[in-house]
Amino acid sequence: MARYVLTREGEHYLKTGLPEKNLVDVLKAGPLTLKEAERRVEHFNVALLWAKKKGWVDLKFDNLVLIRPPHSVMEQDALRKVESGEELAPEILDNLLQRKLIEKVISELEEVKKMAGKEVLHLTKDLIKTGVWQQVRFKHYDVTIPGKRVHVGKTYPYKAVIDDVREKLIGLGFVEEKSPYVELNFWNADALFMPSDHPARGIHDIYSIKKPKHGKVLDKNLWNRVKATHENGWKTGSKGWGFWDAELAKTLILRSQTTALSARILSKLKKEDVPYKMFIIDKVFRPDVLDAKHLVEFDQCEGIVVDEGLSFKHLLGYMKEIAIMLGAENIKFKPSYFPFTEPSVEAYVKFPKLGWMEIGGAGIFRPEVTKPLGVDVPVLAWGIGIGRLAMMKLGVSDIRYLYSDNLGWLRNKEVIR
Amino acid sequence: MPTVTYDKQDLLNLVGRKLSDEKLEEIINSIKPNVEKITKNDIVVEHTADRPDLFGIEGLARAIKEYLGIKTKKFSIKKSNVKVKCSKIDYRPYIACAVVRNVKLNDYFIKSLMNIQEVLHETFGKKRKKVAIGIHDFDKIGHSIKYVGMKPETKIVPLGSRKEMSLKEVLEKNPKGKEYGHLVSSHKLWPIYIDSKGVFSFPPIINSDRTKVTDKTKNLFVELTGTDKKAVLQTLNIIVSNLAERNCKIETVQVSYDGKKEITPVVKEETMDVSLEDANKLLGISLNEKKIVELLGKMGYDAKAGKNKITVNVPFYRSDILHPVDIIEDIAIAYGYNNFEPELPKVATIGKAHETEKLSSRIRNLITGLGFQEISRYVLTNTEKQFEKMRNKKEDVIELENPVSKEYSCMRKYLLPGFMEFIFSNMHHDYPQKIFEIGDVVRLDSKSEVGARNERKLCCSISDTKVSYEDISSVLDSFMKTFGISYMLKAVDHPSFIEGRSAEILVNGKEVGIVGEINPHVLTNWKIEMPVAAFEISQDEF
Repeated sequence: MARYVLTREGEHYLKTGLPEKNLVDVLKAGPLTLKEAERRVEHFNVALLWAKKKGWVDLKFDNLVLIRPPHSVMEQDALRKVESGEELAPEILDNLLQRKLIEKVISELEEVKKMAGKEVLHLTKDLIKTGVWQQVRFKHYDVTIPGKRVHVGKTYPYKAVIDDVREKLIGLGFVEEKSPYVELNFWNADALFMPSDHPARGIHDIYSIKKPKHGKVLDKNLWNRVKATHENGWKTGSKGWGFWDAELAKTLILRSQTTALSARILSKLKKEDVPYKMFIIDKVFRPDVLDAKHLVEFDQCEGIVVDEGLSFKHLLGYMKEIAIMLGAENIKFKPSYFPFTEPSVEAYVKFPKLGWMEIGGAGIFRPEVTKPLGVDVPVLAWGIGIGRLAMMKLGVSDIRYLYSDNLGWLRNKEVIR
Repeated sequence: MPTVTYDKQDLLNLVGRKLSDEKLEEIINSIKPNVEKITKNDIVVEHTADRPDLFGIEGLARAIKEYLGIKTKKFSIKKSNVKVKCSKIDYRPYIACAVVRNVKLNDYFIKSLMNIQEVLHETFGKKRKKVAIGIHDFDKIGHSIKYVGMKPETKIVPLGSRKEMSLKEVLEKNPKGKEYGHLVSSHKLWPIYIDSKGVFSFPPIINSDRTKVTDKTKNLFVELTGTDKKAVLQTLNIIVSNLAERNCKIETVQVSYDGKKEITPVVKEETMDVSLEDANKLLGISLNEKKIVELLGKMGYDAKAGKNKITVNVPFYRSDILHPVDIIEDIAIAYGYNNFEPELPKVATIGKAHETEKLSSRIRNLITGLGFQEISRYVLTNTEKQFEKMRNKKEDVIELENPVSKEYSCMRKYLLPGFMEFIFSNMHHDYPQKIFEIGDVVRLDSKSEVGARNERKLCCSISDTKVSYEDISSVLDSFMKTFGISYMLKAVDHPSFIEGRSAEILVNGKEVGIVGEINPHVLTNWKIEMPVAAFEISQDEF
């Protein structure tokens, strides 16, 4: 036996009355203009259609007039019967179906029973519930065909490498710090004892800012100590450079090395903060032309260790520990040069399968750097070539892949394990 | 820093010992420069900026000899009676000269002379601006040598030519004139060296043909000019110390500035005391005075052990020694970096991620969970992309004074323009394309000491054959609800979005971002053929 239920419209009319009945009711008080009637009766178009069809109302000039009010409204009763599950006469049933006020419910059981003995594609909830699953055959698939590829949401490959290194450095007890891209030349170079005429400070080596041109160094004493250190060595035991360009120190640039942050951090470090370990992984900017070996902006990863009694031997110890953490199996050291450290070292490491590569540089900050910043204990500084490391892990030889805009490559790139 | 190619045989001749390629590489790498490759005839070395005394083949050979304990020549210098009068030339005021005798030129020597000039011009000389070098056949130079400023009409026979021409013509016609002419062209008078026979050098551009060095040359005249006195003197020191390694005899020249006399080269050995305790403490080892003196000898220092200190004679060509730590590094180098026992100190500290990165990490996890692929775009961009192509009015951004290209001339303030570029270049890939970026933008901030600050932002976009506002606003809603942030959407007309289909995202009444369907005008500007819906929001407001 077929069963019927109310549609949403049917349910609504059962509650509020059929629109044509509502129209008749408002017209009982007298004729109304179309506009007025429309204002007062919900679903007016439906109401007008059916009331006219049934010959209850008519349009005289602009007015709607009640001509033959009905005694009862058949559909209204029928809707109630459907709701309470009573049976309907066929003619009214067709009427309601046509007006989409009710719909036929197909018995699940009946449908499912028809499946018995057949081969089916899908195991459904109904098959399980009715137990009919026991009487069907499931079509065999070619299970060896790989599934259709879906694009998963994924982290950017280079970010994944960076996150991995970040996590490991935190594990080694380093605190992550940040500083702005727009930086004072003072922090980027002067506080690091790079002379005003250092080759890496030229117009072709560092981006300067159009507006504003200058920034502020808030600590005047620090400013004077750095000035004196450049000019004559101050109390650091150094000869100094013999000159300093104060105007240059005030100019704003895009930081060209994350070491700018180390200088900022050291200037604020208090005695009670020591021992202290900090790292940063962030962007730096240098006026290079974009090609397979150069990016216009790239990431640096570096850190410092500040404590009483630290030495070159410990610097090498940290480099070794970091290399092991990154998966290297052997490490070699070589003298190197950085303007702000002495002694300076470069580390080469051997990765299983991939062989030797330069992993980074390190050194002990020169007294000309630490003393003016107010630090009297040794500061070990290290940096690892995070871009190079990422290229190795991602298996790419063109550095531009670190900022790939190729969605196909990004979607297809396996995750770094 | 400079990468220089040396003749391997010449280097070994100068060292005076046969060394295998491996041994040679090992020694040079141990001293500090980095051997890039060794071929049958050549050795390619990358140098560091602090050791210009090693740039020349003779200086490199000297360091190898010292490292191997081979006896090196004692540098000596004699006075000559050569005098140079130096007139005032404001934009190139400093000079330094030397006479070099007993020169036995051969192919190696000539090649080395060319190489050292080239590498010093490029590095120390800042492409001849700061320092320029001229080397001449001394015997062809007359008397009354003067350095003066002369009019561009002054005549010279430039090197490699037989024709006399004016300095002006040199700038117009000679390749060196074209390359370096800009260093003088804006000035009225141009620097030249002149003697009783005429102009013999036009620094920093070219020498005269008359005084050119040939295979018959027996004595040299070296002249330098520049803008930085210290650099000029140091460069001369490097050159003469190198020439001395080829058994040349160095003689000084008297340079007079307006009556004030100076003798160049200035060869002064300074002494510096290194405390034994400081050295051992910095290196983390314990060496005695004797051992340190021995190690310093390997690095070319004459050192004397005192009580708890070592008195070190710093060679005059070692311009990099400013502080005892510089000498301590050389002790470490002589000791051998790989002979140190690396030791991890017990420094107990607690590691911690930066709050910004921690939050970004969580956001990244959530958005990837919604099926979005992360992308990463450059911070550097240009205002056309940031504003014009987005139909936005130009806002204040950090612009670069010296961009390398128009493409990268300002810092981004919005992530969305980068998405447009990305979507355009990926139109051939499968749709839907759901992408996101978490990255920094830069905003001006007058309260900051650097006039700007970084802001961490999130941008998400969906691109497909059909995309609706609801598609993206539901991602935004899921994201905000999951983070427990209550927010409101306020209808707003924004030129980048379709009218009636964009809203400001408000948190605590403050605007933190925008969401909507990208305006077809904008899509057309970027040549994108698929609809895009996106939101961009500041993470710092969470």
